[in-house]
Amino acid sequence: MITVNAGNITKGMYLIFKGTPHLVTKTEFMSPGKGSAVMRVKYKSVENGSALEFTYKTNEQVEVADVEKREMEFLYRAGDELVFMNPKTYDQASVPLALIEDQVGFLIPNLHCWVLWYKDAAIGVSLPPNVTLKVIESPDEVAGNRINAPKKTVKVETGMEVMVPIFIKMGEKVMIDTTSREYLGRIK
Amino acid sequence: MKTWQKIKNNPDLLKTYFVRERVIQTIREYFKDKGFHEVFTPIMVPVPSIEPNLEVFETELRTSTGKKKRAFLISSPEYAHKRLLAAGIGNIFEITRSFRNEEEVSRLHSPEFTILEWYKINSDYKDTMRDFEDLFLKIIGEDKLVYQNEEYDLSLPWPRISVAEAFEKFARIDTETLLSEDKLLNAGRAKGYQVEEDVTWEQMFYQIFMNEIEPELKKSHKPAFIYDYPLAQASLSRPKKEDPRFAERFEVFLAGVELGNCFSELTDAEAQHKRFEADLAERKLLGKTEFPIDEDFIEALREGMPPTSGIAIGVDRLVMLAADTPSVSDTIYLPDNELFDL
Repeated sequence: MITVNAGNITKGMYLIFKGTPHLVTKTEFMSPGKGSAVMRVKYKSVENGSALEFTYKTNEQVEVADVEKREMEFLYRAGDELVFMNPKTYDQASVPLALIEDQVGFLIPNLHCWVLWYKDAAIGVSLPPNVTLKVIESPDEVAGNRINAPKKTVKVETGMEVMVPIFIKMGEKVMIDTTSREYLGRIK
Repeated sequence: MKTWQKIKNNPDLLKTYFVRERVIQTIREYFKDKGFHEVFTPIMVPVPSIEPNLEVFETELRTSTGKKKRAFLISSPEYAHKRLLAAGIGNIFEITRSFRNEEEVSRLHSPEFTILEWYKINSDYKDTMRDFEDLFLKIIGEDKLVYQNEEYDLSLPWPRISVAEAFEKFARIDTETLLSEDKLLNAGRAKGYQVEEDVTWEQMFYQIFMNEIEPELKKSHKPAFIYDYPLAQASLSRPKKEDPRFAERFEVFLAGVELGNCFSELTDAEAQHKRFEADLAERKLLGKTEFPIDEDFIEALREGMPPTSGIAIGVDRLVMLAADTPSVSDTIYLPDNELFDL
């Protein structure tokens, strides 16, 4: 059994909580009142998507879920499911939308990514470090002082909103960091 | 992006930052109306608060003639205030900066923070509950608060729940179990918590409190005063006359945020000295910076301090709630996490 020290739990980990796999959606390290430190963890159940919270002592050992990664391509969204395909075997897999809400804005058709599996269920997706997305909505004129590299909010092809420099125009492609959601550059 | 850049890009953000001015003005007016003296005490002192779990910022004071003295940034102005109370100043309040080192930097914590303390003589913690209710309603301006899309009912009086009642009601732990280390650890084990060899009563207390009690308080969508802490957590509060297993201390919670910590102050110099000695021993055990006991403070207590209720409030948290921002750093112009890249 692989475990992690509760003090080292980070967002995005898959851990076993009360016997079932959970995704860590948020962590907060704190020392209440006169007490010693604790780690408050927000979980999302991989089985039913429900959110819950648990506070560990920082020195507790927590079991890590045995999650396997398989390279796949994103195909399309069908209702509350996202469908992926293995480009070699054409095997398909569906991941419930609720488990990858944060990442949906990066999923464009044919994107290469890694689908995460726990036992025989697809439970999540691991994205490449950056994704190139097309700008589909952008305010025309944004007032700003050019010395400070001001930014504006635009909408990209997946519907996600990102901050980009004001010189970016509609129809251009921008590279976005999938972790920080920051603008990395313009792709010609 | 730095705060100044965010403001330059979006001047509307200033409205959020300006909430602090209004909150602080409201606090000042509230206490001035009641005849409290506003005091201004040092933030650099030779002996800081001795609280075992708080680490301090230390520096050195050097004079031109070569004198060298250890100097510390306060983690609370309480010792200065109690000297003034012993001197006979009457009711006082102060809004000042305080510092805590080696703490988590989170949505609710910043190493440098703004603290409000007030002390009311000839009163106890129950009076301070009422004063806090009044002050908070003045700050918010109505008897409901919308914070991060949740609505909280602030109508008076706010629920008052003793620690023993809270453990009984929300965690099904009776007072006898609560106050016994063995029994509480066993109860924790039965609930499925990991109880390793070195787990202390206090750790189990907080784990149950945070997992079983705090979520219920939050769910009620009301503020709550949690009062009468087991004597082990008395800190600078006096034992309860009717039941000395508990101390006259409360903490006030709203929206999962602890806003303040109040004591009916311990005024017995010898008892205070004993607690300081125990606290110093614990500091040593925890590997925290060591320093001498503030004997001048004990001396002031010996001269006699009136029965007093005192409270410390995290002003940044009040501002965060009033401004409806997710984190205290969203209300500070140059927050520590940005300045020091934490």
